[in-house]
Amino acid sequence: MKINLLEKEIKNINNRAETEIKNNNELYINTTFEEVKNIVGILMNNLRLVFVGEFCIQEKSFIINIILTNRRQGYFVTVRYNVTDELVSLQDFVPQSNLFEREISDLYGIKIVDGKDTRNIVKHEIWQENVFPLRKDYAFGSKVKLASEVSRYKFMRISGEGGYQIPVGPVHAGIIEPGHFRFSATGEPIENLEIRLMYKHKGIEKICENINANNLNLLFERVAGESSVAYAECYALLVEKLIEWKSTDEVKAVRVVLLELERIYNYLDDITGICVDIGYSYPPKKFSYLSEMIHQLCERLTGSRFLRNAIVPCGINIDFNEVQKADILYTLKNIEKRLNNIIESTLGSVSFLDRVEHTGVVYNKTANKIALTGVVGRSAGIEYDVRRNFPYEIYKEIKTKTNTETAGGVFERYKLKIAEIKDAFIFIRKALSLIEGDVVKNKPEIILQDGLEAYATVETVKGELVVYGKTGENNTFDRIYFKTPSFTNWNGLTYAVAGEIVPDFPLCNKSFNMSYAENDR
Amino acid sequence: MRMILDRIKYGKETKKDILFDNPDSYGKVNIDSDKCNGCTKCVNECVAGAIEIKDHKAVVDYKKCIYCRNCIGACDKLAIKMEHDCKFCDIEQAGNELKKKIYKKFKRSLILRSVDTGSCNACMLELAATQNTYYDISRFGVKFAASPRHSDGIVVTGPVTINMREALIKTYDAISEPKLVIAVGACSFDGGIFKDGYANVEDLNQIMPVDLYIPGCPPSPQAIIYGLLKIMDRI
Repeated sequence: MKINLLEKEIKNINNRAETEIKNNNELYINTTFEEVKNIVGILMNNLRLVFVGEFCIQEKSFIINIILTNRRQGYFVTVRYNVTDELVSLQDFVPQSNLFEREISDLYGIKIVDGKDTRNIVKHEIWQENVFPLRKDYAFGSKVKLASEVSRYKFMRISGEGGYQIPVGPVHAGIIEPGHFRFSATGEPIENLEIRLMYKHKGIEKICENINANNLNLLFERVAGESSVAYAECYALLVEKLIEWKSTDEVKAVRVVLLELERIYNYLDDITGICVDIGYSYPPKKFSYLSEMIHQLCERLTGSRFLRNAIVPCGINIDFNEVQKADILYTLKNIEKRLNNIIESTLGSVSFLDRVEHTGVVYNKTANKIALTGVVGRSAGIEYDVRRNFPYEIYKEIKTKTNTETAGGVFERYKLKIAEIKDAFIFIRKALSLIEGDVVKNKPEIILQDGLEAYATVETVKGELVVYGKTGENNTFDRIYFKTPSFTNWNGLTYAVAGEIVPDFPLCNKSFNMSYAENDR
Repeated sequence: MRMILDRIKYGKETKKDILFDNPDSYGKVNIDSDKCNGCTKCVNECVAGAIEIKDHKAVVDYKKCIYCRNCIGACDKLAIKMEHDCKFCDIEQAGNELKKKIYKKFKRSLILRSVDTGSCNACMLELAATQNTYYDISRFGVKFAASPRHSDGIVVTGPVTINMREALIKTYDAISEPKLVIAVGACSFDGGIFKDGYANVEDLNQIMPVDLYIPGCPPSPQAIIYGLLKIMDRI
């Protein structure tokens, strides 16, 4: 259903709701506390919209926003209602909504009414109880005191004979980020996995409100180090949507080259991890060597191994000419041949296949229920890729099909990651062929008007990233909200490991390879 | 069979001279004091707050710098230049005293435990990259252990968030004496770009004495290896 037809449909269903279309693909529906559940229910069940996230903004009062998307037509629907100190829980028909509601409750102090899960998520035991840092009256720059006022986090209990729990983390063995996993097992198989995160919560959304829009791309890049380019791209898209800017085709093509380079080294690291956790030692060594080669290529292109400060709003912050073009083509040519050889050797190994096949399965039904995105979702048969459903830059022309698998196991994710690497090689070559002549470094100063709002979405290596931005005074943003792919995809892992044995957990985890940093923000 | 052929065909990949010159790398940001007129344009441009005006001249704190290069373009007088050598960390005073002990006690090896206390993950990826076959840090006797009980020191990345504070202290306490603390990345010095975040603890140095800061955002594997070799007294 097209966006303007949907607007009419909403009017038919409920004539008290006020609707407005902004930026061509965003529909805002203002409703009330009493009617919101009904409207969201109709939009999701009858009109097949997908729940993406929920966040709060503060104007005169608090406004809760529920983001829904139509993936087929590529538009956003925001359902809004004013609240004073209590919000409506959607937990009985949107299973993922508890995460968002608990986050709002912790950071804005708005209580969840009739929710099944009302535990603290951001606030760990050490926090102050009555402090709500995202509220406007909380001064920027002041720190939360160490007070140990928050009540103890309650994990799910296991009872019965032979049942036991294994706590893991927050500090893990190896060079990984922190997070706590609580396995409940009876004998060998895992009965239940509970993931507790937010150890790395720094308050990035608050910092975003206080940085000049011209420098904000630097902070966006540091939300998640591995997806630096995708975050910078998302910021560029957001600003370009707000000021209605159209980039030239050359700039678009260079951006796609950088985005796909990032995809290559990330997926190389991911398949490295999968092979390491199986104990298959030769291929991962070589994958990580090839990933190092890509990092060095990135350093030659932009001066940063993570391609930082390259994509800026309304332009590109690097010079791009024939020398760099040749460098990319030469490096990729060398890597591609060798990579294909090693990948084939893994796919031909019986002991490798024995470990990955039918391991860590997320069924299509579950994946749809919790709306998984990215490789994780596509491996379970969800045909959704932001590059195709919300095409940005030149993806409309070059990305013609979505790679999907159906079984949803570790092997499917492994195959998909390889397919994405192979696609990335093709996209880079296509994008390079579109660049004629030199692209000159260009970073125009941006001036934002007060009171505008927009959404931007990008396919990062982990999945769908949605950023909401509302501009404020003095060329800053009044509110930035990140709906990061890891925030919802982490829950997929709890379904994937159920029934598996504990030693298979690292393998399942690595095949997901979700980011803790972008989840915690 | 395929692997053996691959090995023969491509040979050895490890860089022999690890401290080689990398012309594309980031490096120290220098301000030419003759050209600088103290206009504060670069100070306003810096998100990390690394540039200060002292005696009407701008000075860059290289530990705070995130090496984004924005200040270079902001300067009208073209006074700001960036070097291309990322190998420049300095050992803190506490570290200098420890340095002698390290060589005496641990001889040529160093076992470390890495704790991420709120970084963006880039520092962790670079730490992991030191172990790949190109840099191969294990040939210098540096290893990352799975347990703090097995390690001689701790590597901290990122600003310390209040949620991670307790876990960090517990890890530190579990390490046997003499304890080595290495802080990797600009965020671990003073919070870097996240220093105004409400959920950060003020400073890592208040929780535990830091022996070595490795600057960079993120520091390249080469810079990390240089820092580790320096504290082991191998350079």
